[in-house]
Amino acid sequence: MVRRAILLLLLATVQGQAADGLSFRRDVMPILFRAGCNQGTCHGSSRGKDGFSLSLFGYNPKGDYFRLTREIIGRRVNVAAPEESLLLLKATGAVPHTGGARFSRDSEYYKTLVEWIRQGAPDDAGQVPEAVEITLSPTHLLFQGQAKPVQTTVMARYSDGTKRDVTSLALFYSNNPDTATIDKNGLVQAVGRGDGYVFARFSRFTIGSEVIVLPPAAGYKWSKPPVHNYIDTLVHDRLQKLQLLPSALADDDTFIRRVYLDLTGAPPNSEQYRRFAKDTHAKKRARLIDDLLRSPEFTDLSTGLWAESVRLMGGGYTPTATDLKAAEAYYQWIRKQISQNRPFDEFVYDQVTASGSNLRDGPTNLYTMLVHDVRFKPKAFAADFSQLFLGIQIQCAECHNHPFDRWTMDDYYGFVSFFTGITRKPGAEPREFYIFNKRRAAPSRHKVDGRPMVATVLGGEGPAAADLDSRVALARWLTSPQNGLFARNIANRLWARFFHRGLVEPVDDLRISNPPTNGPLLEELARRFVKYGFDQRALIRDICNSRTYQLASKPNATNKLDDRQFSRARLRRLRADVLLDSIIKVTEWDRPFRNFPKGTRAVQFYPRTPGDTSQPLWFDDFLKTFGRSSRNSICSCETRGEPTLSQTLHMVVGKNITNAINAGLVTRLLERGDGPRALIEELFIRCLSRKPTAEEMAAMLELVAEDVKEKAPYEDILWSLLNSTEFSFNH
Amino acid sequence: MVAATILLATPVKVVVADKPKGDAVTFKDHVKPILRQYCLKCHGNDEQNADLNLQTYQTLLKGGSGGAVVKPGRPEASVLFQAITATDDAARMPPKSPPIPRKHVQVIRRWIATGLRETSVSKSLSPASTITFNPSANAAKKPSGPPAMPVGLSVIKRPATSRRLPVLAMAASPWAPLLAVSAYQHVRLFDITTRKEIGSLPFPEGVPYMLRFSRNGGVLLVAGGKPVQVGSVVLFDVRTGKRLAQLGDELDAVMAADISPDQRLVALGGSGRTVKVYSTADARLRYKLTRHTDWITSLAFSPDGKQLASGDRAGGLHLWDAGKGGLLFSLASHQASVRTISWRSDSKVLASGGEDGRLIWWNTESGFSSISNSNPHPPQRPSGVYGKLPNGVLAARFGSDGSLFTCGRDSHARFWNVSGKQLRTFKVEAAIPTQVAISHDGKTLVAGDSTGHVHFWTRAK
Repeated sequence: MVRRAILLLLLATVQGQAADGLSFRRDVMPILFRAGCNQGTCHGSSRGKDGFSLSLFGYNPKGDYFRLTREIIGRRVNVAAPEESLLLLKATGAVPHTGGARFSRDSEYYKTLVEWIRQGAPDDAGQVPEAVEITLSPTHLLFQGQAKPVQTTVMARYSDGTKRDVTSLALFYSNNPDTATIDKNGLVQAVGRGDGYVFARFSRFTIGSEVIVLPPAAGYKWSKPPVHNYIDTLVHDRLQKLQLLPSALADDDTFIRRVYLDLTGAPPNSEQYRRFAKDTHAKKRARLIDDLLRSPEFTDLSTGLWAESVRLMGGGYTPTATDLKAAEAYYQWIRKQISQNRPFDEFVYDQVTASGSNLRDGPTNLYTMLVHDVRFKPKAFAADFSQLFLGIQIQCAECHNHPFDRWTMDDYYGFVSFFTGITRKPGAEPREFYIFNKRRAAPSRHKVDGRPMVATVLGGEGPAAADLDSRVALARWLTSPQNGLFARNIANRLWARFFHRGLVEPVDDLRISNPPTNGPLLEELARRFVKYGFDQRALIRDICNSRTYQLASKPNATNKLDDRQFSRARLRRLRADVLLDSIIKVTEWDRPFRNFPKGTRAVQFYPRTPGDTSQPLWFDDFLKTFGRSSRNSICSCETRGEPTLSQTLHMVVGKNITNAINAGLVTRLLERGDGPRALIEELFIRCLSRKPTAEEMAAMLELVAEDVKEKAPYEDILWSLLNSTEFSFNH
Repeated sequence: MVAATILLATPVKVVVADKPKGDAVTFKDHVKPILRQYCLKCHGNDEQNADLNLQTYQTLLKGGSGGAVVKPGRPEASVLFQAITATDDAARMPPKSPPIPRKHVQVIRRWIATGLRETSVSKSLSPASTITFNPSANAAKKPSGPPAMPVGLSVIKRPATSRRLPVLAMAASPWAPLLAVSAYQHVRLFDITTRKEIGSLPFPEGVPYMLRFSRNGGVLLVAGGKPVQVGSVVLFDVRTGKRLAQLGDELDAVMAADISPDQRLVALGGSGRTVKVYSTADARLRYKLTRHTDWITSLAFSPDGKQLASGDRAGGLHLWDAGKGGLLFSLASHQASVRTISWRSDSKVLASGGEDGRLIWWNTESGFSSISNSNPHPPQRPSGVYGKLPNGVLAARFGSDGSLFTCGRDSHARFWNVSGKQLRTFKVEAAIPTQVAISHDGKTLVAGDSTGHVHFWTRAK
């Protein structure tokens, strides 16, 4: 017995020495992550799986420790016979396991877990350094053809300054598997021409390395196209790296149509077209851009786009505080700011810090429109606010750390606390509410441990200044020139407006794991935006004057497959409201809009309902059919561009087209008596911003030769032009 | 030889007769085809590795160089069964192959458990599952002679463990100063008076999750097994330490079980969500209770033998007619797992405790709670810690005088009088008390903890 005791004592000493190595948070948690135990489809699901639940991707180590060792004592972890712990039997597939075998008995993962359990499965809260950063090397990978695969390495840096190779504990994925794949050990293999990123995830971090795969054959020669401004320089840098050549410059006809549609929301009329065609000035394109930026149509379009993105709608249901009068106050305020070219930072600052009556103080309606609800909801509002102004989706972090970005639950709840004091106080009449921020409101509480979270800006070091309305601190941080998130987001959204693809796409999902296709360009656009004093017209002027914007859509041999690097113009279906305005402008149709005065354009129209606004609303069948945002959520995906059968039918036989054609245009043109040739040319210019080709003209003349005064053939031509893809697309 | 090779290379489909019924698993009809597919190449007439030939019934019984490979009625103790179910890839048979499919393993297990029948007309060789267990007369009452204490238990070799297993089960004899405490693959027996360990009972089936003395103190029920592998209930004679019977053939460790006061019934349950009630006389299933929606965590027959209480991991708690299995009451109040139930000696009150932190005294005649304590084990909140702290009640046991002894996640054991008033508290340092017991004379309070230690306290101040 004494001998036994001594033996045990000796054993204990040996184990005590080994025990220094293993920690639950540093050694065990990463294995649960790497083996996939805590992913969303398995035990990381909010309800767990088969009776065992872990925190998704390990955001709550304390809870995971409890569930592994304490919830059912002796079962999942058995310190008496470590190999018989259910954790290990399940993970190695030694007993039936829905998730199958995750690793083998001779893997490092198994050995680590057994050793940890043998040491008594100790907890280590507050004792171990946390990972504070990870790096992935190499940071750039370049493959020429089917080159040899390359092994990547993931290093983690901890709060105590130590570094550790965590390649075997990280998860890997590629965002473009057609270009390059990465296996579970971090080996990168080229697949096909293109660019993309491979990512490593470890702890709460994600990091990417760029991969470029070039075709095997040499012989690429840069065509040295001219450069209009910095945008072209940065795009060309990227194209050269990827061995792409830009398409040719678009002709004047294509340019005028494109720039009119993008800046004013409708194609040029024939007078505008002919004036530009006759203009021989060397800078006629730049002059046209300046003219259009000053036009009221540009203001209307920009106002409509902003109104749509803040979900502006007017309703008659009092409790949501989105009365018609409130919506109109907000709309007119926005229009005034844009018309006066108010710097964008001030424009946003005023909305964020707005207090007062929803009926009279337009910008206060940011707090009624962004989230349509009978009560103000801080969490929903904070998520939408971040998505709109920063392009960041933090709502994942309500329940777990963002799996693919840096945002943690601490960031989320700290951000929500800016809005926990927002109050809607009933005003003088039922439709009116006073909106203000109650000082010293109770902050939000952390979901995991109930900690009160003081208002903190995203990524901020400490709490915001407490002596002001907390929204002032928020607005100052948001619109500060130092806040790259804001400038980048707005620059990216403006870019997307003119290229129908953001440098980051989708535009409201900026995150580490969704990097821009041309990082330096996005940085430069953001920098210039700040330099211009947040003047959006100035940035738009740069974009429209760039050669990149003015490229033709016709591809060359190198850029046929390019859809990300702006080496040619992208074909894009017109937005629903722009398409409708185009039909109206071409046919001079006086179309009414429900609950709006005569002469309203589709881009000015927003839903006005006698009822509740917290539901999808279009209030116009054409806009619904062609995918205008229903304003049901903040997501940029509410605006749809994909073709549907009902769109085709609508264009072929729908009442909008029929009414537009019957609006009298052909009769008026016939009255001019210019003859069939001039009339056909007029219709082509109106609809397609170009003259008909000789072939087209000959074919059309055949149709109308019989009787010059008969309007039916001309209406048929107009119908055909409106139904052509050349009309409904910007190209 | 060429023909033989071809035959071997062709996948052989094993035809096993439909699910074996009752005791009908036989060597000839069921076991031989499985052995043929997986074992006979190395342990057959052609080759006898380790001198083991499984080709015929007789050579199988003879065993190999290591002795017998099967023990009738004891699958877990049989080398054959151990070899095909080993979790270590290197130790498992057949070598370098995936494990034998579960349904085939179960056939072999059943065959051993039911007594190694050669053919359907053979007699079972098993001593346990036949009618060897006879409930003692006056089982539910105080024994007429001296109460059962173990005498001269054979010394067993305790399995080596890296650490002590947490105390997962504990029970005190109702008539003798005897305490049974679960340990890895065995049960430790203590004399409560001297607080010394006086012997142990082997439980190679795995880990005991539940220990219960029969009403007369003569039989010890040990229930448990290996997680997600096997589970069963073994009845021991307390005096001699002999195995009286083995019941149940579960796919997971048995987590809850009890023996009826008259010793005629054993109820058991676990992750299968079904309560199974067996007759001890013939090891046959008497009835099943399928109302539970989650793991069965606790089972207890009332001292008068009329009722059976069962609790589950979702908070469900039901009272049944013990004889036939009809539902009497659903005691719906727990919001999280029921962890423990205990009957008062007069069968009129049932106490239940759970992970929701509640401790409830139920009136089992009306089905309503007579005392409900929503936080009897309040954990101390460290400064700077917010949110809910685990405050589950892990064990509760009535003393014969109606007082109650409980323990919980607050690391305390607490003693309550008949009207639910707290009389004493005991702190367990650096561990969670997992089980409690009150000695037969009510003078000693015992708790077992998550580090495997047993604490004795004197009840009187």
